[in-house]
Amino acid sequence: MNAISNDIIHFLQSRGFIDAKRSLSEHESLTENGVIDSIGLLQLVDFLESTYSVEIPMEIITPDKFDTLAGISQSVTDLKR
Amino acid sequence: MTTGVEICKNCALNSKTQGITINPITGLCQFCEHYVPVSKQKKEEFRVQMANLLSSPPKNGKYDVIMALSGGIDSSYALYNLKKEFPHLRVLAVQFDNGFISETAFENAQKFCDLTKSAYFRLVLDNNLSRDAFIKAAQSTDAFPGFAKYRASDICNTCISIIKQKIMELAIQTKTPFIVFAFSPGQTEVPFLKLTRPFIAWSRKLFDGQLKTIGIEEREPYLIDQDVIAAGFPETNVMIIHPYLVWDYDKKQFRKECIRLGWKEPDLSDPNSSNCLLNEYAIKNHFDKYHIHSYAYDLSALVRQGNLKREEALKKINTPFSEDSIQKVHRQLNLK
Repeated sequence: MNAISNDIIHFLQSRGFIDAKRSLSEHESLTENGVIDSIGLLQLVDFLESTYSVEIPMEIITPDKFDTLAGISQSVTDLKR
Repeated sequence: MTTGVEICKNCALNSKTQGITINPITGLCQFCEHYVPVSKQKKEEFRVQMANLLSSPPKNGKYDVIMALSGGIDSSYALYNLKKEFPHLRVLAVQFDNGFISETAFENAQKFCDLTKSAYFRLVLDNNLSRDAFIKAAQSTDAFPGFAKYRASDICNTCISIIKQKIMELAIQTKTPFIVFAFSPGQTEVPFLKLTRPFIAWSRKLFDGQLKTIGIEEREPYLIDQDVIAAGFPETNVMIIHPYLVWDYDKKQFRKECIRLGWKEPDLSDPNSSNCLLNEYAIKNHFDKYHIHSYAYDLSALVRQGNLKREEALKKINTPFSEDSIQKVHRQLNLK
């Protein structure tokens, strides 16, 4: 698990999306598995933008790129380059 | 409701609520421990951004803004203030008739549309469809993800999602560039949201899944039309604005100002709603299912932000439910 994924998990736990006991795998769908909904996604985007000082364009908020820890981490890494 | 439980020293959340932990050392809940206030600079940036967006909106259609107007305090004041700040805006105010809106709320909505010279549209879903959705939302559990349970009751999450789907549809159809929702700063954290086709399609898919979990077989009437999403080419060019993340939020002041402008208090016993007769039942249903008061998070966020006193939040959360109101809804929904 990379640092961005760990930060996301910490965010999800601290904000009540998941409890501390819930484990998440890198490729697990956050929306299909009841972790987050569309409003939650926007809160996550807000968190990532302020944490990593990046602007996340709405165009990349898609199931392909923004539904798993792996996809989100990769998207944020790409934006930081 | 909160007897014998630990209450966060700063807000109104308590340890008996599912998922809430109170740090024994600080006495704070996890939300207060991690809270970072919005800086004055950020707020000013939001104000400038909203002014830039609304000063000269693209003239694509008949309206500049579609505003979700419930007829309650927040949305009535938001409409008034929006037109006060941006008098040139051509606003279509949409009031969703879910079958449980008080007559006073209808009167208030129309009065504020007249006052602000805004067009008024009553969005009506077949009453049987609304009732069916609310009954199934009341009887189901865990259709919405964990955090959504703090944000609103299952019934309100269903109702709000229907409104969002239908207003997005209307905005795309009428080529209206902005949608305004008067959510409190406790209910949302993102002031501006550009709606892309993939995001709308995704939110449609997620709500479709939630309706399916609730037990609704025929879901199309509650969802944005797929063809409308596809028709927004190359992009939808619609943005959602939440002005209460830009303006100061002072509900007492809003109420005072609204009353001065002719807004009337509805005959409701519910301290958390000034428009919907279903709300109190929805709160109780949610509390019975999850032990979560669906306004506790919203009110606590307002306390954290300095927009509400902790004592007032606690008072609202601990106000006993009115059995008369609950029974009235039971009868209207034909629930046993």
